[in-house]
Amino acid sequence: MNKAAYAPPPSKATLGPIAELRNVSKRFGDILAADGLDLSIMSGEFLSFLGPSGCGKTTALRILAGFEAPTTGEVLLDGEIVNDLDPFRRPVNMVFQHYALFPHLTVAQNIGYGLRQRRPRPPRDEIERKVKTALEIVRLEGFEDRRIWEMSGGQQQRVALARAIVNEPKLLLLDEPMAALDRKLRKEMQIELQNIQRRLGMTFILVTHDQEEALSMSDRICIMRDGRIVQTGTPRELYDQPRNRYVAGFVGTSNFFDGVVESVAADQAQVSVKGGIVLAGRAISPVAVGQEVSVSVRPEQIRLERANAADRPGWPVTILNRIFLGEHTEYLVKHESLGEFMVLTPRQAELSDGPFNAGERLMALWEAGGALVLKQD
Amino acid sequence: MTKDNDHISKRKFMEELYRYKRGSVTRRHFLGVTGLGTASAVLAAAVPALRPRRAWAQGDIGDRVVLATWPNYHDPANFEAFTEATGAAVDVNVFGSNEEMLAKLQAGGSGWDVFVPTNYTITTYVGEGLIDPLDAARMANYDASAFDPRFAGPGIVDNTLYAVSKNWGTTGYAINISKNDNVTPTSWKEFWDMTMDSFSGRTMVHDYQLTTIGNALKYFGYSFNSVDPAELADAEKLLLDAKPHLFAINSDYQPSMRSGDAWMTMCWTGDGKQMNRDMPEIVYVLGKEGGELWSDFYAIPKGAPHLDAAYALIDFLLTPEVNAKEALFHGYPVADSRVNALLPAEVLNDPILYPAAELLDALEFGAAATLTDPNRAELLARFKSA
Amino acid sequence: MTQRSRNLLLLAPAGAWFLVMLVIPLTVVLIFSFGERGAAGGYVPAFTLDQYANLPARWAAFKNTLILAPAGTLASLLIAYPLAYYLAVRADPRWKTVLLVLVIVPFWTSILIRSYAWIFLLGGRGIPALLAAIGIEDVRLINTPFAVLIGIVYGYLPLMVFPIFVNLDRLDKRLLEASSDLGASPWRTFLQVTLPMSLPGIATGCLLVFILLMGEFLIPAILGGGKVFFVGNALVDLFLQSRNWAFGSAVAATLVILMLVTVTAYMRLIRRLGAQREDVALM
Repeated sequence: MNKAAYAPPPSKATLGPIAELRNVSKRFGDILAADGLDLSIMSGEFLSFLGPSGCGKTTALRILAGFEAPTTGEVLLDGEIVNDLDPFRRPVNMVFQHYALFPHLTVAQNIGYGLRQRRPRPPRDEIERKVKTALEIVRLEGFEDRRIWEMSGGQQQRVALARAIVNEPKLLLLDEPMAALDRKLRKEMQIELQNIQRRLGMTFILVTHDQEEALSMSDRICIMRDGRIVQTGTPRELYDQPRNRYVAGFVGTSNFFDGVVESVAADQAQVSVKGGIVLAGRAISPVAVGQEVSVSVRPEQIRLERANAADRPGWPVTILNRIFLGEHTEYLVKHESLGEFMVLTPRQAELSDGPFNAGERLMALWEAGGALVLKQD
Repeated sequence: MTKDNDHISKRKFMEELYRYKRGSVTRRHFLGVTGLGTASAVLAAAVPALRPRRAWAQGDIGDRVVLATWPNYHDPANFEAFTEATGAAVDVNVFGSNEEMLAKLQAGGSGWDVFVPTNYTITTYVGEGLIDPLDAARMANYDASAFDPRFAGPGIVDNTLYAVSKNWGTTGYAINISKNDNVTPTSWKEFWDMTMDSFSGRTMVHDYQLTTIGNALKYFGYSFNSVDPAELADAEKLLLDAKPHLFAINSDYQPSMRSGDAWMTMCWTGDGKQMNRDMPEIVYVLGKEGGELWSDFYAIPKGAPHLDAAYALIDFLLTPEVNAKEALFHGYPVADSRVNALLPAEVLNDPILYPAAELLDALEFGAAATLTDPNRAELLARFKSA
Repeated sequence: MTQRSRNLLLLAPAGAWFLVMLVIPLTVVLIFSFGERGAAGGYVPAFTLDQYANLPARWAAFKNTLILAPAGTLASLLIAYPLAYYLAVRADPRWKTVLLVLVIVPFWTSILIRSYAWIFLLGGRGIPALLAAIGIEDVRLINTPFAVLIGIVYGYLPLMVFPIFVNLDRLDKRLLEASSDLGASPWRTFLQVTLPMSLPGIATGCLLVFILLMGEFLIPAILGGGKVFFVGNALVDLFLQSRNWAFGSAVAATLVILMLVTVTAYMRLIRRLGAQREDVALM
């Protein structure tokens, strides 16, 4: 309905990235908060920076916003270097973690704030119209004259979003926007945010430490650690082809068996783990004999069976714990050499062979393609 | 900023000034500037147990005596000697004006044992029943015949002795003659004319109706004590005309005179002497039209809590040797011939302290009616707020 | 003990203080203001409006106070605000405490002594001497309304700095980033966010300074050379010099009423300015 008002601005970016970080580093005293960041952001995409606190994801966002100047490297917006451009001159807007709404202004005044800063200043009725449209987009019609402190947390979040999108920025930056919302509201907002982004065709960059949030909303995710980008890719790429153990651990859950590479043939590697056991797996990136690696097996790749089929190698395990999750059941099992690991079995499988009980001794087994050999970092 | 803080700091301030700036503070009205009323300078230790207890010929007089007096008007060494001799510490309350003293006694509960009123207030105190007659028999060192009756006289009301003479002095003006081609003026007419001409912005007058109005009346040759409405109207016009040309209306004039900000000021004897001693270009002038002659006294307020100590203190301070030390300290003349006999000749021949007879004869004592006249008080208020 | 009696007990000291130090004296002042002056001063009971009829005799003092108190408040604000802003927003956090202490340090000394210091600074051997050295001759500063204004600003600056500082210090700095992010230059951010957000501090500081200035007498007495006359100076003279308690009480009562009216009007104005704001807390 409001697509016309928020058609993506005509941009050179249809030909190239709308924003780029080129070998960007940021140093605060002794701390290297960002370390050689390289990233191209495409127009209209929804990109997330994902990582634990202190990984540099917020620094990256603040560098894009202009609140921090990179120590080295270049920041480009729409093909132009903007390292020294003040934040108030950048066509970029941010939704702050705690919203940072102006308490002395009404909802409408908050949303119109950015428009009123433009020079030449747009006519009053144009500002009013755009504010109204923005309120419709975030579904807050009729709240124009409310005070910020009269609004609930979720409503404030929508106001913050409206205050940013009304300016039709080239980049919309979201700094953990859902962190202060309760779980249910967060889910709703995630869906809504995604819808708004699709509808407006705006470029969204989200900072989050919540992998579920990143996986469900993003076109691409940029995994960060210690100021560095570890891997950038679609959620599926990160899940299926994690570059290293860290990414595999951060995107979804996995069982890791640490060991040393014994032999490599093409992309298949044999890894010697605890108790003299050798596990086979596919190496995502090249590994060398003698290298310390982890064999990663996703819990849903593992099957539990009461009887061992002779043609497949299985691992005798004891069930320690069982958690019923509806569609799935999660088991914590223990192998005397490999140790404890997780198994996720679909309801379908349970119907034929299960359910299994704690203390029961079973065979755990997985397809050769289900195991990945990952570098430690 | 609470008043309490001010009070404490002020006390410290006074103590500091006593210690370091002897001679640079005016005799009166130093505190009138602040308007806060009393500020006590406790010269003796406040803790009774620490005070020396010595036998005194007259027996035990208690451990303290409270004296209300003017700033810089006593030699602290004499108080120490008194305490040494009697075991009674002297608590000194310092005042800015006779009006303040009167106000405090009228309000009651002053706690004073001895105070120092000026001649023109004594009949008021007697009339209001605020002071007791003095028993001469209790002051061995009081010798009525030794005092010049001109100055001691006001202490006797209706043939009853109410107050004994402390010091006397005059009110003239001090002028820095280096700013006047080293010419020394001689009259109040010149004082006011110069103020509105060559000394514009450089003259100070007292923040005191008695002297400021009195000396304005002198411009016209009227009595210093006039309460005649027409004469006061003339004086008021002169004051209002002069006000834009004044440096200040302030009885604390020594600092400004010494710094050179002010060139001429109404002035009391002791201040004139102190400034002249340090800066010979500042001379003390008694207007030939006349002006004020005054005399200060020791008196005991009704209901003094330490009556024995009060008599002991007055008697001690009247001892010629002690009184001579006082006079040498503060620079005001004494009416007691026994004391004058002990003072060096250069003091007795000093024209500031002991002016020529014809100048002295032109002066008037301030009158009680002058001090309490509401019209004069209002006149000064109009002058100050104009 | 009931909750109610406990509450009363808690309020008792403040209530007693209020009664003894405020209600009773004010009542006495009010009663005296309808009396007459005794022959030798003091108060004589009567019921007359003469004292109030005589108020125009102190018009000049009221006029001076009503000009210089707001002027002094404004001057204090203009100097205190940038200072408070620097301390709260710009100063290196490591030095903030030290700088704050430096603002308070003068308060360790009595206002009397500090004002005396200004006599020398503003006197002929102080600033005028420095000005003369660069060719600006015969500048008279001491004993002028300007000197009083300087003394006022100097004396009351911390009272203005602190409420504004506390306000600005509590100001969420992310709001400033948000404003910048939305395209406002630093100056426009100041005007549209910082300044309106610091209004409560400004209001508190102005109120504190204004109320104290209305009753001021020390600074005009010392730095005005007795020529700059506030209502406070008129009161000191009336009670301590002419001992006209009745008229003095009338002047005092008028000053109190004037203050009540001004402060009430001021509070209403501030309330209206920050009408729907939760964070307008004046005191």
